[in-house]
Amino acid sequence: MAVTGRNLLGLDPDELSCCVSCGLCLSTCPTFRVSGEEAKSPRGRIAAMRLVSEGAAVTESFLEVISSCVMCRACETACPSSVHFGSLMEDTRASLAATTVPWWQTLAYKTLERPRLLRLLTGMGAVAQRLHLIPPALESRLSLPRLAVRQEPLTPTGSDVWLFTGCVMDAWQRPVHAAVIAVLSAMGFGVALPGAGAACCGALHSHAGLTSRAVTLAGRVMSAFPGDAPVLVDSAGCGAQLRDYGRLVGTDEAARFSARVHDVHEWLAARADLLPPVKAGAGPLTVAVQDPCHLRHVQKCHLPVRKVLSPYASVVELDDDGVCCGAGGAYSALRPEMARAIRQAKLSAIDAAAPDVVASANPGCSLWLAGGGAKVEHPMVLVAQRAGLV
Amino acid sequence: MTVGALIADLRCAIGADRVRADPFEMTLYDRDASTMRGSCAAVCLPASTAEVSAVLRTCRSHDWPFVARGSGTGLAGGAVPSGPKPPVVVVTTRMNRVLDVDVDNRLAWVEPGVINLDLSRAVAEHGLFFAPDPSSQQSCSVGGNVANNSGGPHCLLYGVTNAHIAALDVVLADGELVRLGGLDAEPDGLDLRGCFVGSEGTMGIATRICVRLTEKPRSVSTLLADFTDMGNAARAVSAVISAGIVPAALEMMDKTIIGVVEAYVQAGLPTDAEALLLVELDGLQGGVRVESAAVSAVLSGHGARSVRVAADDTERAVWWKARKSAFGAVARIAPNYYLHDCVVPRSVLVDVLGEVNAIARAEGLLVGNVFHAGDGNLHPLIVFDRREPGVEAKVHEAGRRIIEACVRAGGSLSGEHGIGLEKRDAMSLVFTEADMAAQKCLRDAFDPEGRCNPDKVLPSGTAGCGELASVPAGAWI
Ligand code: SF4
Ligand code: SF4
Repeated sequence: MAVTGRNLLGLDPDELSCCVSCGLCLSTCPTFRVSGEEAKSPRGRIAAMRLVSEGAAVTESFLEVISSCVMCRACETACPSSVHFGSLMEDTRASLAATTVPWWQTLAYKTLERPRLLRLLTGMGAVAQRLHLIPPALESRLSLPRLAVRQEPLTPTGSDVWLFTGCVMDAWQRPVHAAVIAVLSAMGFGVALPGAGAACCGALHSHAGLTSRAVTLAGRVMSAFPGDAPVLVDSAGCGAQLRDYGRLVGTDEAARFSARVHDVHEWLAARADLLPPVKAGAGPLTVAVQDPCHLRHVQKCHLPVRKVLSPYASVVELDDDGVCCGAGGAYSALRPEMARAIRQAKLSAIDAAAPDVVASANPGCSLWLAGGGAKVEHPMVLVAQRAGLV
Repeated sequence: MTVGALIADLRCAIGADRVRADPFEMTLYDRDASTMRGSCAAVCLPASTAEVSAVLRTCRSHDWPFVARGSGTGLAGGAVPSGPKPPVVVVTTRMNRVLDVDVDNRLAWVEPGVINLDLSRAVAEHGLFFAPDPSSQQSCSVGGNVANNSGGPHCLLYGVTNAHIAALDVVLADGELVRLGGLDAEPDGLDLRGCFVGSEGTMGIATRICVRLTEKPRSVSTLLADFTDMGNAARAVSAVISAGIVPAALEMMDKTIIGVVEAYVQAGLPTDAEALLLVELDGLQGGVRVESAAVSAVLSGHGARSVRVAADDTERAVWWKARKSAFGAVARIAPNYYLHDCVVPRSVLVDVLGEVNAIARAEGLLVGNVFHAGDGNLHPLIVFDRREPGVEAKVHEAGRRIIEACVRAGGSLSGEHGIGLEKRDAMSLVFTEADMAAQKCLRDAFDPEGRCNPDKVLPSGTAGCGELASVPAGAWI
């Protein structure tokens, strides 16, 4: 059944033809791993894009092929012919956005852009949670953490570096920012905080194909960080998006901004000698590192997390080759069944490694894994705790 | 009977969600990692031996052909659904459990959809691994390895898949389950297990596979030598083996390939070299040390510009990643490739390589070579862009001439990728009609109705048992 008459996705045929169908990406793809279906594999998705680009009708099954992708981009790292899967998928989704993004998803993203509204809702949610007003089914679908009723405000400490505070991160995980500020201050770096314009990086909009909205948000974010001090990011997903502004917006200014953006661990790893000492009397701690896909496959800077953690804990690896946890931004809420199956595999790998705690540098992954019963902390919170700063 | 009735019965047999018949989705199963295409009647995703058996019984009652498919990384079209009646594709990816590991006897029972590298990973804690290591090992399935009797760089020392399979539970074309081979060192009777390994899905579907595991070597040394002359590199390969050393792996890449893999892995490979040799030695520490020094001396003596030894596991892993990603990485030159796979005696390696390059040049095509030099298993890789008018004809012509050249030099049609659809019609270059009739007899014994991966391996019209009046002298029976 044809959903729409459009048959061109506006993709670059050269990029599509770069996929030689070798299949080397298959095992890195979380949706292929749990489903075993070609239609849920990177190779199958590219073949599907090619078919539609060459004139096949856009059918329900094509939409399923596209919407079941987590956008973890592990296939991109695995692909020997360097297919730019992420941009193919984003462009495809952008062409389909009008017909595929459900109204409530667009509305939810609008909320993310408005920090005060989000904070208000978060506060209400916290109260509602305590009063058990949120139906358990909805709560687990959204993988809501235990929300804080009141948030301590953050205070800037100087102007050596900017800290990107974001939307979900700021409202739900403000303690992470506090930990980053504490560690940076202990190392002698003053931290500047942006104004309200830097509320939302636009990553979820980009993933859903809402490109023009993402470009607008990028403009707002960039103007909230004047000067040329480095912009540090403690959320892997936001960091990846900020680093992509150069491509997304396509201006020199945006490219210059993107070059100023660093993942906080990457920035700290280059200054590891300045890291604060472990506090006296801290017992042994085993940490398993879960690599957020946006750190490992997009920013390609997952190794610094280990370097930053290693003075503070013994770091163990999960034996699953860094496959995605299934959170995928909004994916876990949009495709709960598939996401849970993917998470189950991750939880088994965590069980096998038997750590005291899992370190994850992305709020989405943390919330999602915690929702599955794992004990998860942001690496920077662990560092601050072990150094006795929080 | 109609396709509609077939699909309805398949859905009854294993559940509606395990049978896909949407035309768009089915198109994705039309091909494997080769360039050949077919079309199918339905796609089944069974999750157990019982479900595979139910699918095959249903196919039987509809007199419908079927094709087994693992990860779809085959390079000879073995899993491409083809034939006058579009077959049912039976996908084994959901049968991906390691069922039982017997550490003492170094055996493991696994389902066919287990990924080769996952199997090695699953038994690593016991100091064991599954030795066959095709370049696609991160994605290919053990079932696919069995079907193709797959090789891989380390099969030079450890032997190909056949040497690592103890027993198989196979669902035959009529849905019956049989066990081939056994766990005894010398099972009684004919070695039907050995027949099945490498039969490319033409004798049934293996649903439980008992693999032999290998102890991880205590010590490994990996050498990387670069040459400014391809002939010298090829002669160095023979010299290493003549020196009485059998490395675990001995691989060669030419300049074209070095360039593309270096762009992908950034391992610091010398992109100005004409050839690179990757040599791996493993065993006990003392022996490896001595052999490593000996190999290094042989390579230098044959004109190696430099010989590097991998400093640690990380460097070794990067070199192997370079080697194993070569096929995919060529897409940076042109979007399509046609990968050949033939074995020639090591002594004529230099001549055949020269001939392969000359054939490609004559057709105006670019060819890269990356291959298992130690056992003379060539992989000429013709790179092209299908959209260029007339290029496919040239590629096929070059391919045909390359195969002929290899056969003329005393080689065989396939080293490890299988015959599949790709080389089916070249079988007569190597086998007489009587040879093929004998093969057909054996195949008919397993699948008398010819519904099991039809159209593959043997050319259509191959005479069967008793159809050939006499057996000519010199037939390869
Ligand atoms: S690894 Fe790359 S070239 Fe190979 S199938 Fe996947 S996307 Fe295509
Ligand atoms: S982005 Fe992730 S989920 Fe999507 S095809 Fe690639 S590996 Fe699979």
